[in-house]
Amino acid sequence: MTSINKFLFWILGVALILTNVYVFIHSINSSNKINFYEQQIKTLHTENIKLENKVFGLDSLRYAASMAAKLNFNQEAQPVFLDNLIYARSQ
Amino acid sequence: MTKTRIFLLIFFTLYLAVIVKLFFIQILNPRGSDTAYLTTRKIYPERGKIFDRNGLPLVVNKTSFLLYAEPKKIPDHEYFINKIDSVLHIGESTLEAKLDKTKDWVSLKTNLSEDIKEKILDLKLPGVGFTDGFQRYYPESSLSAHLLGFVGKNTRGEDLGYFGIEGYYNKDLVGLPGILKSDRDLLGKPILMGTQQKLNPENGRDLYLTIDKSIQEIAKSKLREGLEIYDAKEGCIIIANPQTLEVLALVCLPDFDQERYFTFSEEFFKDPAISNLYEPGSTFKPLIMAAALEEKSIKADDFYNEKGPVKIGEYTIKTWNDKYEGRISMSRIIEKSSNVGMVHIGQKLGNIKLYTYLKKFGFDQITGIDLQGEVTDKLRPRSNWYPIDYATVSFGQGIAITPVQMVMAFSSLINGGKLLKPYIVQQINSPGEEKFIKSEMLGTPISEKTSDYIKKMLLSAVENGELKWAKPKGYKIGGKTGTAQIPIKGHYDPSKTVASFIGFAPVDNPKFLALVILREPQSSPWGSETAAPLFFEIAKELLVYYNIAPD
Repeated sequence: MTSINKFLFWILGVALILTNVYVFIHSINSSNKINFYEQQIKTLHTENIKLENKVFGLDSLRYAASMAAKLNFNQEAQPVFLDNLIYARSQ
Repeated sequence: MTKTRIFLLIFFTLYLAVIVKLFFIQILNPRGSDTAYLTTRKIYPERGKIFDRNGLPLVVNKTSFLLYAEPKKIPDHEYFINKIDSVLHIGESTLEAKLDKTKDWVSLKTNLSEDIKEKILDLKLPGVGFTDGFQRYYPESSLSAHLLGFVGKNTRGEDLGYFGIEGYYNKDLVGLPGILKSDRDLLGKPILMGTQQKLNPENGRDLYLTIDKSIQEIAKSKLREGLEIYDAKEGCIIIANPQTLEVLALVCLPDFDQERYFTFSEEFFKDPAISNLYEPGSTFKPLIMAAALEEKSIKADDFYNEKGPVKIGEYTIKTWNDKYEGRISMSRIIEKSSNVGMVHIGQKLGNIKLYTYLKKFGFDQITGIDLQGEVTDKLRPRSNWYPIDYATVSFGQGIAITPVQMVMAFSSLINGGKLLKPYIVQQINSPGEEKFIKSEMLGTPISEKTSDYIKKMLLSAVENGELKWAKPKGYKIGGKTGTAQIPIKGHYDPSKTVASFIGFAPVDNPKFLALVILREPQSSPWGSETAAPLFFEIAKELLVYYNIAPD
């Protein structure tokens, strides 16, 4: 009986130690994960705002005006044939 | 007892002691766990966004960073200041003044972009850090500078809206900060068994305006062209839906850059459309005509004998060109903008009723438009009015009003007589709640019948006016020119005028009303030669934009 009790106490002791170590390591890992995901959320949120603003910028009238000026897509690009009929008359 | 048993007993006793202590700390006396590991962090809310009536963004947020320093952790302040200033370029003396060596934490600069943050991080300086925040971003740049206002700081360094929508709706836009209380270890990682409390921030409410971004762009580009062509000092254009008084566009020049508002002097921030007073001149005449028709002091088919100048006390009132046509109709008085004709109308209406109608049209108080900074010039008590004052007010001089007051009053002439409150925000959104703002009626100064008469007169004023404008063909457009001299130190300067035109289309069922004001145009002082052509340029664009078919 005494040897059984001894054995059980040892088992219990080792089990408690191992459980303690496991919980400690697991909590550190969980903290690391929480920290990682917190940073990820922050990064994604910042990235999201950046992309959203990029879309707003590309969708803006200001950008359209700058592209129109760059591509010379303005009233001057309208056909002038109606004002100047030499092309029609040359037929 | 064997050595093993003694060792085991000691071990279990120690283990029991730890458990009991933890029980005391965490269960019986939980507040005692507020140790140095507890970090409290404010979570800043995002300021509400502002959209136009079609859901297109006018103001949104972008991430920005606040650069802070911990002076006690900086070994070499001179080196630190030199390195930081090589990136920030705000002056070494400014940085030196901020770096108080007795303080643990000082803010050096706010609203830094990510590029600047990376450059500073690359310097690898000790005692430096960043906190995240938000800054306003305007996708359309300064398209609506006066309308929107800007976001600055208050004395506590918190964001505060100034002028326009940002100022008026600051409480809705600012939101509520959240808080995060968390036990963290030395590396900043959360201690799971410790305190973890989070109160989420409440982001600011989003605003949806009545403004149409495309119409705002049309108005601003035309105004810019107009100021250049007519060499005017400043100008304003207000475009509204006269049936509801939703403001579709509101632009004044010169304006300012909202992202760099701090580089402009304060005089640029005030919105002239709501904060500057001007004498409306002949654009005021239809209001007095409508009042006289409503009171049956005159009839629409009456005639007036325009013989010559009119004397009021020691003053002589003439027409703008000193030409008199003899027997003219009420409509012709408006067409040729006859000052003497209007004096006659005012006298028929009577001083008391004329004064009452000024109040009925809302000139004695602010319109209540939802923009910060509106002013009004309260009417002097009737006891302080002289006969000449009644005479001049009938043709829009001797009274000072704001452009938005003019739009409000004039709308009532063409929408069946309803005096409506102008407004800019039509919807306020928060998570789970949408609040809609509708048109508000303030009164009915005139009847629908009178409104019809006035619309016909204003159509006639455009069709048979002194100048033939480049009107869009096939459309019925009504309107009135105005040229008012600017009073300077109690006298009118004949060389300085405020040229204006207020018009609407289509006459039968007006879809838009536009007021164009140009201050001190140099090419010509007359509204008919400056503001009117500018109005018709805008009208052409709006008729196409709204797909309005010719009559």
